[in-house]
Amino acid sequence: MITSLTRRAFTGASVGLAFAAGRPGLAIAAPSIAVLAIDADPPTLNPALSTDYATGDVGAKIFEGLIWLDRTYNPQPSLATQWQYAPDGTGWHFTLRDGVTWHDGKPFSADDVVFTFNEVLARFHPRTSGVLRAIGARVEAPDARTVQFTLAKGYAPFLVQMSVFDAPILPRHIYANTDILANPANQMPVGTGPFRFTNWTRGAAIHVQRNPAWWGDAAGLDEIVFQIVPQPANRSAGLETGEIDAVVDFYLPKPDEPRLMQEPNLQFRRGINIPAVYFLAFNTKRPAFARKASRQAVACAIDRDRLVRQVMRGLARPGYGAFGDGFKWLLDDADSYKRKYPLDPAQARQLLAQAGYDGKSVSLVYDAARPQLRATAQIVQDNLRAIGMPVELAPLERAVEMDRVFAKHDFDLTLQSYFSAGDPAIGYHRMYLTQIGDKALTNCTGFSDPDVDRQLAEAAIAPDRDHRAEIYRRLQVVLNEQLPSLVLFDEETVDFASRKLTGLWPAIDARDQWGGVRFAAN
Amino acid sequence: MRRILHAIPLLLAVILLNYGLIAATPGDPVTALVGDFPAPAAYRAQVRHDYGLDKPVPIQALRYLVRVLHGDLGYSFANRQPVVSLIAGRLLATLELVGTALAFASIAGVLLGAVSAQFGGGIFDRATRGALTVGYALPEFWVGQMLILCFAIWLGWLPSQGAHAIRGAAGGWAGIADGLRHLLLPAIALSLRYLALIARVTRTSILDVLGANFVLAARARGAGSIRVLFGHALRNAAAPVLNTIGFNLGFILAGSALVETVFGWPGIGRLLFDSIESRDYPTMLGILLLVSVCVVGANLLTDIVHRLVDPRVA
Amino acid sequence: MKRQGWMAAAWLIALVLAAVFAPAVANFDPYSGSADSLLPPFTQGHWFGTDDLGRDIWAETVFGARVSLIVGVSAALLGAIVGVAMGALAGWHRGAVDATLMRLTEFFQILPRFVLAMIVIALFGPGIGKVILVITVLAWPQTARMVRASVATLRRAPFVEAARIGGMPGSRVLMQEVVPNVLAPVIVLAAMDVAAAILLEAGLGFFGLGDPNLVSWGAMLNEAQQYLRSAWWMAVFPGATIALTVLAFNRLADVLNAGLDPRGRS
Repeated sequence: MITSLTRRAFTGASVGLAFAAGRPGLAIAAPSIAVLAIDADPPTLNPALSTDYATGDVGAKIFEGLIWLDRTYNPQPSLATQWQYAPDGTGWHFTLRDGVTWHDGKPFSADDVVFTFNEVLARFHPRTSGVLRAIGARVEAPDARTVQFTLAKGYAPFLVQMSVFDAPILPRHIYANTDILANPANQMPVGTGPFRFTNWTRGAAIHVQRNPAWWGDAAGLDEIVFQIVPQPANRSAGLETGEIDAVVDFYLPKPDEPRLMQEPNLQFRRGINIPAVYFLAFNTKRPAFARKASRQAVACAIDRDRLVRQVMRGLARPGYGAFGDGFKWLLDDADSYKRKYPLDPAQARQLLAQAGYDGKSVSLVYDAARPQLRATAQIVQDNLRAIGMPVELAPLERAVEMDRVFAKHDFDLTLQSYFSAGDPAIGYHRMYLTQIGDKALTNCTGFSDPDVDRQLAEAAIAPDRDHRAEIYRRLQVVLNEQLPSLVLFDEETVDFASRKLTGLWPAIDARDQWGGVRFAAN
Repeated sequence: MRRILHAIPLLLAVILLNYGLIAATPGDPVTALVGDFPAPAAYRAQVRHDYGLDKPVPIQALRYLVRVLHGDLGYSFANRQPVVSLIAGRLLATLELVGTALAFASIAGVLLGAVSAQFGGGIFDRATRGALTVGYALPEFWVGQMLILCFAIWLGWLPSQGAHAIRGAAGGWAGIADGLRHLLLPAIALSLRYLALIARVTRTSILDVLGANFVLAARARGAGSIRVLFGHALRNAAAPVLNTIGFNLGFILAGSALVETVFGWPGIGRLLFDSIESRDYPTMLGILLLVSVCVVGANLLTDIVHRLVDPRVA
Repeated sequence: MKRQGWMAAAWLIALVLAAVFAPAVANFDPYSGSADSLLPPFTQGHWFGTDDLGRDIWAETVFGARVSLIVGVSAALLGAIVGVAMGALAGWHRGAVDATLMRLTEFFQILPRFVLAMIVIALFGPGIGKVILVITVLAWPQTARMVRASVATLRRAPFVEAARIGGMPGSRVLMQEVVPNVLAPVIVLAAMDVAAAILLEAGLGFFGLGDPNLVSWGAMLNEAQQYLRSAWWMAVFPGATIALTVLAFNRLADVLNAGLDPRGRS
């Protein structure tokens, strides 16, 4: 009762407007408004400046990239309709869509793309700026409908980084010659996407409405409301009561998801996500894990199926190998953990003895604020105790933890999770590349193999996927044997929405491509 | 007046303790001021200079004192906001919760205590006293979890999280009703211990008063027992109740932090929990200071009001 | 009154025994889980059910008693010692010593205990020793004030005067004649302090500030919060144990108080 009351109170204003527009008494359709939950006010609504999750969520409705990635990672045309690349991967050529306008009515052109890359993405985007620098990208516009990229060296995942999250295209006429970080358009964005920004009530909600001038078929929803719901438990409760129409996995407490999957009024998409792995990194400079036999012992001792069942409530896949199993094209069953390291505490004890382990306790450092890591740490502690290796848990605040792991290297074991961002070369190579210095979120293990480095570099450049797969299979043979890090599980996300919505989630990222979403006619 | 003068050194000492915590933090005190955030080096250098951390300790402490007295509690990097405005934004929610809980605890506690005293020694009295002893032993946050379990999960009558409906606060009566539904469980969870305390205090003081001369005199004049109870006895019980609240404010605010965390209530307690989780030191210390000041203020106020209310303390 | 006193004592004795002989009392290892997670109570020999990692909640509750009792009893004991020392000094010497010490107690009394304890642990990292220390620092003033008042009156008592005139040095008079006579109410306060310390420790655990390598009731409730909807038993049992223990210590204080009160009032 209360629910329907608030729902009415909520839509009352818009209904009133429709009536005022002069169609009283008619059985007009109520405006179709979808309510999506986000966790907090985003720091900005400009996805070129921040990789904040909510920024990307709102931004992906308003802005567009040159391409978007479908559920199987195939690039689909967005602001670019065609693209070609030079055989060595150093040149990319994009043909832009005709007749695209910005939300303020100004025409879109190649100048906007060049400006966005040179003046905004290369300077401010947390991920893309580094990539553009590393590959030495130059961007030019030979004419108003063409953009040409020249790279100093090939870069296999180039296209993957052209999506709205890594390379949203901004309007040059609004940002040129301004202080980009302080531009008011960061709070009132102007994009080319299916929805345009209407208003933002801090701490409450952000509204976007259909862009009638969008180049595609007009969006199926009149309006999207991003409702700010700070309590995680409330976001799942809101889905159950119907107060919220859709929530992306990121905002939901893991323990609630199995229950939500049983809910008859909800639909969900499971396990289709940009791969991310949770892993246990060994400090190979410490006596306990200097030898590979002791690392292999740990691999034989940790019950990865139990981690999946109890920590992730079944919403994960047990560790497969050095790069997880998120990228199906690079897998090779013969050398997988399942073959090499089946759960076997007796074998583990033997390997430990062989490594000359002295029985001293080892430290396990992890980020205290993440409940999944705490549960994982407790199971690791339990499993290793069973083979005679006492583990001292050290949950630390994130900044302290990073300092201890990546700068001071003061740990024996640590739990980390790395996001692939769509390609092993973007997100996973850092786990194994030789690391000198104290850069955070890289290879903290002290493991260094020039041959591995060389092959990783080759895999990052090669534009041909079969060729890359071959390199990654060779690498897995070495890395699964050496085990500088043990991949514990691959995350499986579950995105939820009301059954009343159709046309959901065509993209790999659930936040992307909402133009085709609509309420089912009933 | 003397009382107020007395409170000033206490307040200064509290501020200095705050400074002491900053200075004693393992590692660089700038980190304690900034919080563990990758702040730009220039900002860190400025903080170091502003707080005079390159100066001797007494000067540092003095500078910190002056800053706090100017109402500057520092800047929260985690929230990109000055701590003062961050706390101010949450104050109302906590006042709403604590105020409701205390009002409920006082009214219900006094009634329960009075009735219990009236039936002194009887079954009702004994049962009530037993229940109160139990109530006083229950941890607020566990009571909160149990209330959620019963009334939100099993019965489904009341919401378990937040201060208003998910789609934002509605206007008018619907909005008020919605607010009350959200307020009910956390307010009960927070009030239980103080309800028990107040009822106990009320009962004892009424029993004392019921035997006192002026009550006997009132009875002798023919005043009915209800009138005696409410006219004389309750008025005299007001002072101890006030004391109970005034001198327990520190515990009540701490309880509020726990209850707010259980119910996702957007108040200062929840802010404290979040700031501890993210090791946002400026916010943590700002809240500590605020709570300490509230406690000093409450003690002072209690003393003053006590003098006005209680005829025996002149 | 009496019966309740006995019940409280019985519960506390049982608790202490359970804590001391925890490995024998708990039929499972509290740190070791199994595949059977989130089992409801009384299934497969798990009297209190199992938690999210398949650990036995009965075993965790029994082992959790160790942390709670150690923290509660040591903090109360240390608090009592410091409180008696401070109070006795202040009450005996009067003058400047008294004024300074009383100012100090006043300062510590206004500090918000729980908030300060949380912040200290957050700043300096978790650990049982630190928790005990913080609670002690915040718990002694009440004892000190009470002891001071009694010492100040006893100072003029005939037997004290007599001892002094008899040539006994001041410090010995204080230690042998005065302090033993003010200890009774200190014991009552200490019993209440144990209850308060156990509650505070549980609160810290609930905020995730407990020792990560030890099971504690507060930490159990912290983990239960996520699973309230699917496993009520994770919250009910540790919470009820805290409540009963706190209740028992409070009851014990009441009974002691009644027994020590010369007027024998209930």
